[in-house]
Amino acid sequence: MKGNDRRPDPASPGDGAVLADAEAGSADREARPALDQAFDSGTLYALRAAVQAHAIQAGLPESRSDDLVIAVHELAANAVRHGAGAGRLRMWERDGALYCQVDDSGSPASGGDAGPVRPDGNVADRWPFLQGHGLWLVRLVADQISVFSGPDGTCATVVFSCGQDPSGSAPDLKRRP
Amino acid sequence: MSIEGDAAPPVTAYTQVTDLSSDAHACLTFGDPGDLLDLTAAFVRDGLASGFRVVVLSDSPQLAAAKLGWREIAAESAVAAGQMVMVASQDGLVGPQGFSAGQAMSWLRDQLADSRRHGYAGMRVALDMSWALRPMTGIEELPVLEEEIAAAVSAGMSVLCGYDRERFDPVTLALIAPFHSHAVAAATYYDDPVLRICRQYVPPGVRLAGEMDFLASEALALALGEAIRIDGDITINMASLSFIDASSIRMITDAAASLDPSRTMVLRCPPAIEARFSQLGAVRLRQVRLVGVDEG
Repeated sequence: MKGNDRRPDPASPGDGAVLADAEAGSADREARPALDQAFDSGTLYALRAAVQAHAIQAGLPESRSDDLVIAVHELAANAVRHGAGAGRLRMWERDGALYCQVDDSGSPASGGDAGPVRPDGNVADRWPFLQGHGLWLVRLVADQISVFSGPDGTCATVVFSCGQDPSGSAPDLKRRP
Repeated sequence: MSIEGDAAPPVTAYTQVTDLSSDAHACLTFGDPGDLLDLTAAFVRDGLASGFRVVVLSDSPQLAAAKLGWREIAAESAVAAGQMVMVASQDGLVGPQGFSAGQAMSWLRDQLADSRRHGYAGMRVALDMSWALRPMTGIEELPVLEEEIAAAVSAGMSVLCGYDRERFDPVTLALIAPFHSHAVAAATYYDDPVLRICRQYVPPGVRLAGEMDFLASEALALALGEAIRIDGDITINMASLSFIDASSIRMITDAAASLDPSRTMVLRCPPAIEARFSQLGAVRLRQVRLVGVDEG
């Protein structure tokens, strides 16, 4: 039906390494990504279009789906520009919220230059997370965000509540400072 | 400046619309209706400033006047003063029985005579040729009209013929092109199916349409660099932009911040884009003025 990579992947969604607080409950294991799409610099446009379509289908209001698109784009752009040069987006819906996970781990260029690893194994602060306005904007528009960097690359997840109140109940991630 | 001097070939065979002579018969080809309006606006503005009579033919004179209006052309007052004439296609080049080159030329000559009678030193005529896309009798005489206009322009009249290159067939365009003295098109920095970055002539600045992201940052930098070198205020027209990423916003606001505080960078954007600029702090720059628009 689509050219997307839809192979079953036990690590996602609900990857415990990423969703530290969303330990894999039984419901999580049943979740299947609504969208699972590889990207590189040549396919960011297609990625945005796919995310927009899925966000609208999931019932996100237009302004919030625009926010979701920019958030995913900025994360993917970081993977393209500062990370592995390519990556993968997985998007799923759970408990009234949309989860989008951008992951460049396992891509050929990732790994080599991981920098000092903090005691918790997270080198997120080394990822260009503090650079530029892109990730600042992601933090601004997403209801929740989680970033984990390891020697194999970086995995970032944003959560957008599908409810009326963007600061509302659903997501089970802690907002990082 | 070039070491090779005059040996260097021109980058493009196109003439800038602002460089047209007073006896030009220019062929403006466009892929985006915004280009037609923008280049027509520049042609009209310069004609009015030179004290010429300016005639604008289009399918909808009212709409054209409104769109010229936001491009800082005071069409209504120029029409009231008699310096400008806005004509519907069916009242000008096309008659009730269809099209004939002879009848169209006769209308054009009447316009020129009227312009002289009122003491104008010259006349500029902007023709939106989209009427010629409709099926009508006599349309095979279109090249005859263009040939006769070519012969008439030396009489103190310049004519800008706007052809939509996406909608006119290549054979027609190839037939009419040789009768024109100049080819005019918008200066374009980037053009692919997703994004277009081109110069905006009126008001001066840059126009972005489609989806702008960091992949086209070099072209955006070039466009902004050229825009900020001109004097006065500049406009970044994003009315037809549906997406812009943070690095492109940053590049635009950095360009604005580099302007002398006495100058203004007007950012025309639809609400969603306007919100992004606000989120990223563009409003804090004294050089930036955000203007919301609902249409391109």
